[in-house]
Amino acid sequence: MNAIGNRYRRTALWVRTHGGMLRNVGLATLVFVVMFFFTQWWDFTVPSLGRPQYQAVFLTNGQTYFGRYYDRIGAYVKIEDVYYLQEAQSTDPSQPSGTKLVRRGAELHAPTHRMLVPKSAILFVEDLTDASPIAQFMAQDRR
Amino acid sequence: MSSKLYDPERDPVRIAGRWVRWGLAWVAVPAILGVFMAGNIDVHALPIVGPERETAVLFQDGQAYFGHLDDSGESGTLVLRDAYYFADAKGAPTGLSVGLVRRGAEAHEPADGMRINRDKVLALEQVGLSSAVAVAIQAERDIDHASASPLSLNRMSVGSAQVLTLQRTAAEHDIQRGYAAATDQLAKLNELVLPVTKAEAQTINQKAIADLQAVRRNALAALAVALGTNANEAQAYASATDAVLEGQRFANEAAVLLAPNLNSVVSRAAQLYAQVGDVYAKQLTEPRTASPSPTPTSSPRP
Repeated sequence: MNAIGNRYRRTALWVRTHGGMLRNVGLATLVFVVMFFFTQWWDFTVPSLGRPQYQAVFLTNGQTYFGRYYDRIGAYVKIEDVYYLQEAQSTDPSQPSGTKLVRRGAELHAPTHRMLVPKSAILFVEDLTDASPIAQFMAQDRR
Repeated sequence: MSSKLYDPERDPVRIAGRWVRWGLAWVAVPAILGVFMAGNIDVHALPIVGPERETAVLFQDGQAYFGHLDDSGESGTLVLRDAYYFADAKGAPTGLSVGLVRRGAEAHEPADGMRINRDKVLALEQVGLSSAVAVAIQAERDIDHASASPLSLNRMSVGSAQVLTLQRTAAEHDIQRGYAAATDQLAKLNELVLPVTKAEAQTINQKAIADLQAVRRNALAALAVALGTNANEAQAYASATDAVLEGQRFANEAAVLLAPNLNSVVSRAAQLYAQVGDVYAKQLTEPRTASPSPTPTSSPRP
């Protein structure tokens, strides 16, 4: 019992002596963890208020992606819930082939909903109006 | 007299300096470190927190590479390790227009770690871990007996025995589909009006079928060797599986993306089926010329 008491007193003394240092280390750890998770959540995206929900992103190779576009600090922009136009083969050869809007994710590598695009690969970005059939399709498809 | 009144502990400039130093050391530096670490580490890729993170790098020219991406540098260069890519496989018996290939087996045998110019990248995506690409990569690691390093921040997943069985079965069916397509081609050719007699055509067909069967048996043996069995066991497996596959078509079966090692066996088999088919098609369709007599006829004397 006496040995345990001594050990407790020594520990308490050590904590009192190094209290300032312990407080500082605790604070630094807390700041690190908070900033780490804040940055993960923030994802370096630049806030865009009052902007339409969906955008069309035209790329330098001629492809176009539709989705929720986020400008980011750094080399990449982010597109979430990505859709693209795909030529649909008509079963009737006399009918011209049309295009259909496809949600990205059913490809062989089953990509997740988030796509990063280098800014150097972007030609221009346009907002889609609420009346846009593509925006309406995407909004309906998400529900 | 004034120097005695001066107390450095109460000097506001010194007090402010102390607070700035303390703030830098215990608040600003951890905050900057937190932002930097979060920008370079995906929390889901940590070994304890989440599974492997496989990234798809889509190039502007249409190529797609998959692997472990390191995009932490500020040099404008991405590094992709343990890389795989799609190769064109149109018309292959797998039923897919692409096949998965592991980077490293090319003529120049590149070492692991592709340095990619970011300006040539179209997009980065995270590969779904249950996707066809991820499963094929996991199966390839199982075939290669690759093991995950416990120290890696992005620990690789290795395919289970069940995944490998599915891949093996799919490869067997692909080999049989290639065989069935080659024999169908031969049958179509025989429906035409041929410049050879029926008996000659039958002999050529028998030889062609025998050669195609030999290709199938050898492909099955190569498949077994790729899966790690020894040569004797591979021959026994090939004979047994050959008999099971005979007469089957697997026409409406869903396509499976094969692990690169298995895909190369199937691709090689498809090439050989085509070569054998071409040789015998030529024999069937080319008119026979009169064979030269072994002894020259005596020339008429003048």
